[in-house]
Amino acid sequence: MPNKKKTWKQLLYRDRYLLFMLLPVAVYYLVFCYLPMTGIVMAFNQYQVGSGFAGIYTSKWVGLKWFKQFFGSIYLGRLVRNTFLLQFYSLIFGFPIPILFAVAVTQVVRNKNARKVIQVSTYLPYFISTVVVCGMINNFLSPSGGIINQLLNKIGIESINFMNLPQWFRPIYVISGSWQSFGFNSIIFVAAIMGISPDLYEAMDVDGANRRQVIWHLVLPSIRPTIILLLIMSLGTMMSVGFEKVYLLYNTAVYETADVIQTYVYRQGIQSSNYSYATAVGLFNSVINFVIVFAANKISRRITDTAIW
Amino acid sequence: MKKRSLALILASAMVMSSLAGCGDQPAATQDAATPENKTEVVDSAIQQATTVVEESGFSYTGEGPITEDGGTIKILAQTSNYSNVDITKAPIVQKVFEEAGVEPDWQLLDYNSYEDAITPMLSVGNIDADIVKIPDNDPNQIWIKSGMFVPLDTYFDYMPNFTKWLSEHPVQKAELTAEDGHIYYVAGVNVAHDYQPVLMYNQVWLDKAGKEAPENLDDFVDLLRYFKENDMNGDGNTNDEIPMSIMSAFLPYMFGPAFGLDLVSGFQADASGKVTYAAADSENYRKYLEFLNGLYEEGLLEVEFTSLDRDKVIERISNDLTGVAFDYSWAMSMMYSNVLPYYDGTEKTAFVGVAPLSGEHKGFYVGRNFLSGMFGVSSKSGQIELACKFLDYAMSDHCQDYYQWGIEGESYVVNADGSREYTEKGKDNDWLQQFGINPAFVFPAQQSVEATDILVADWHAKINADQRQYVVDPWPMIYATSDESDTINMYLEDIQTNVDENATAFITGTKDIATEFDGYIAGLEALNLPELVSIRQQQYDRYLKALNQ
Repeated sequence: MPNKKKTWKQLLYRDRYLLFMLLPVAVYYLVFCYLPMTGIVMAFNQYQVGSGFAGIYTSKWVGLKWFKQFFGSIYLGRLVRNTFLLQFYSLIFGFPIPILFAVAVTQVVRNKNARKVIQVSTYLPYFISTVVVCGMINNFLSPSGGIINQLLNKIGIESINFMNLPQWFRPIYVISGSWQSFGFNSIIFVAAIMGISPDLYEAMDVDGANRRQVIWHLVLPSIRPTIILLLIMSLGTMMSVGFEKVYLLYNTAVYETADVIQTYVYRQGIQSSNYSYATAVGLFNSVINFVIVFAANKISRRITDTAIW
Repeated sequence: MKKRSLALILASAMVMSSLAGCGDQPAATQDAATPENKTEVVDSAIQQATTVVEESGFSYTGEGPITEDGGTIKILAQTSNYSNVDITKAPIVQKVFEEAGVEPDWQLLDYNSYEDAITPMLSVGNIDADIVKIPDNDPNQIWIKSGMFVPLDTYFDYMPNFTKWLSEHPVQKAELTAEDGHIYYVAGVNVAHDYQPVLMYNQVWLDKAGKEAPENLDDFVDLLRYFKENDMNGDGNTNDEIPMSIMSAFLPYMFGPAFGLDLVSGFQADASGKVTYAAADSENYRKYLEFLNGLYEEGLLEVEFTSLDRDKVIERISNDLTGVAFDYSWAMSMMYSNVLPYYDGTEKTAFVGVAPLSGEHKGFYVGRNFLSGMFGVSSKSGQIELACKFLDYAMSDHCQDYYQWGIEGESYVVNADGSREYTEKGKDNDWLQQFGINPAFVFPAQQSVEATDILVADWHAKINADQRQYVVDPWPMIYATSDESDTINMYLEDIQTNVDENATAFITGTKDIATEFDGYIAGLEALNLPELVSIRQQQYDRYLKALNQ
C-alpha cells in the first residue's frame, strides 16, 4: 500500500513534542537575536536620546552619514587591523591546540583515571571569570614584583613592562586565551574521536598500522568534518573580539595594537552617547563577519566538500 | 538569482546614499534664548512665582511638610561611595523624608559604575522615577534635549527655596540656564576652591633630606633624585625607595600649570579671552612632554605609571616606600597620612600639601566647577508638582544644614558662643558617613568649607586655607547649543583618544618627541580640532557676555 503524503498539520502534530522542546531555543533566538537585529536601522538615523524603543525606528534618517564618518576616521585602519589580527592569531595558535590535545588525550593517555584528571584540570581555566584572569595576568606580568619578571631577573634579564608595550599585547591576549579555552574547546573533538567505530581501529591494527599511522589515517580524517565545521564557525567570529578582555587589559600605552572595533564602539556608544555612530561601526563589523563566514563556507565546499550549508 | 541579489544590494546602497543628504537639513527651530536674553524666561518665572494654595487650604512655603496627603517619591540616584554605607538607612536622609512627609522609593545604582549604568537607561528613556540624578552636568544638553526632564521654571510656584537660591546666585543661574532659556536641574554645590587635588610630600623624608618643599621643577627633580638614591625609610636598603607615586590621571594637574597649561580642563582661555586647546600648544605642551619623558628615562617617573591606582599608592605609603604623592586634598589626612607607620596626628609626621610647582610659568592648582550633582524631575512622573516640591525642600538651607553638620545633639553640638563642633561620635568619619553626612549621591547637597575643616585634622585645614590662593577656576560650565553639541560629540572622543595615547607614547619614549611631535599636532588638526576650538571660543564668548550682564 503506498504511503499517503502527510499534510503539514499532521507533521506538526506528529512532531509536537520535539517542536515543544525546540520552543525555548526558538524564543531565545527570536527575542535576543532576531528582534534586536531590527535595531540596525539606528545606523542610518540619528537616534534621539530618550526617545525610547520607538525612537530606534522614528529618529531622523541620515542615510550613510555615520558610515562616511567612520570610513573617514583615522582610526578605521587601525581598528580593523587590530580586531582582525587578534582573532587571526587566536585562530592560528588557538584552533589547533584543542585538536592536538584531544588526539593526545585519547590516543596517548591510556589510563582512564589519568585521562579524566588531565581533562578536568584543563577545563577549569575556562570557568574562571575574565575579570579574574585579567587580574592574574596583570599581577603575573607586573614589572615590580610580577612572577614572570622575577623569573626573568633571576636569569639576568631586565624586567619588561609587558602591559605597557604595544608589541606584547597580542601575544599576551592570544596565549592567555589559548590557555584558558583549549581544554574546554577540546571536548567536542574528544567526543568526535570517541565516536569513531572500534572496528576501524581493529582493522588498522590487523593491517599493522602504528600509532602515528592510526592518528594520521584514521583519527584525523574521521574528525575532519567536525574540524571544518568549527573552523567555519570560528571564522564567523573573525571580527568579534571579546570586548571584556581587551577592555580589562588595555590602556592608552597599547592602543596601537589593542584598540579594537568593540572597544571603540563602547567609547563612542556608551561613554559618548553616540549611539547611531556606534551602531554603524558595529554593523560594519557584522557585515565583514558575514562575508568571511560566507566565503569560508564556499571555499570549504569547493576544497573539502564539507560545508555548513 | 545571484545577479538579482547583487542588484538589490546595489539598489539599497544607492537609496541610502541618496538619503544621506536628508540628514543635512538645518536643525529644527527651537525655542532658543539668545545670549542677550539668556535668563529672561527664568527671571520672569522667578518674579511671577506665587505660593499655590491647595483645595484643602494647605500651601507649601519651603518648609516641611511638603504635602498633607503623604505619598511616595521615586528617586533614581547613586549608592554611597563608601561601600559599607547604606544611604537609604542613614538618619540624615530619613530625617529629610520624615520632615517632608513623604516616603522614598529608592532605585540606587552602584556609585562606581553609575555613569555607565544610567546612561543607557536614560538614552532609551527607560526610567520609572520622579527624580533622577544626572550622570554628569549634561554639558551638551543631551538629556535636556531628550525631553525627559521638565523645565523647572514652569513649576517655580512649587519651588520657593530654589527660586530664592537662584536669585542670590546670578552666575550659577546663568550657568544652569539651557539653550532654550529654561532651567532643568537643581544642582549640588562643590567647595570649588578648597580641598582640591594637591601635591603632597612625606614630611619625615623631607626633614631627613634637610630640604624644604621645592617650589620649582629643577628643585623638584633634585629632590626626587635624592629620594631615589638614599635610604629614606631607614631599612638599610637604598633600592626600595620609589621617589614619587602619581596616578597618570594626576600628571596634568601636577605638571601642566608649570608649563602654562590647564590640561585638566583641556580648553583654556588667556587674559584676552582667546581659547586654545592645551594639548595642542606646540611650544609649551612639547616642553611638558619633554620634561615628563626626562623623568621617565631617569627612573623618577616609574615605568608602571599608566597602571598605578590609589590602592597601590596607599600600599606603598603604608610601607613607607614613597616620598611624593598627588591626590585630592581629602586624601592627605584621611587616607595617606593615617596609614604612615609613624604618623602621630601631627603635620611633622604626615603627608603634607604644598604650593604648586612653577616652571617658566607660575604654578597653580585647577579647581572645580561650583555646580555638580544635577537632579531633574522626570517628565513621565505622575506627580511632577510633588517631585518639584520635594526637590525644592531637599535643597533648602534647612536641609543643607543636615547635610553639612548632621543632627544637633547626635553628630554636633552648638557651643555657648554659637559655634558648632562635632560630637565624639561625629569626629569618627566612618560613623559620620553611616549617619549620612553630605549625601550628594541622593540629594543636591552643598558642601561647606567650615564643616569640612572640622572633619579633617587641624593641620590639614590650615594647609587647605593656605592653598586656596593657588586654586584657579577650571573651564566654566557652559551649555552647548544643538549644533555645537552635535559637532562636539562627533569629534571630541577621537581627539581625546589621540591625545591620551600620544601623551603616553611621548612620555615613555615609544614615540620620539623631536621627530614625531609635529606630526601629532598635524594629526589633531586632521581630527577637526580647529572646528572644536572655534566652538569653545563661541561658548566662552557667550559665557563672558552673560557674566558681564
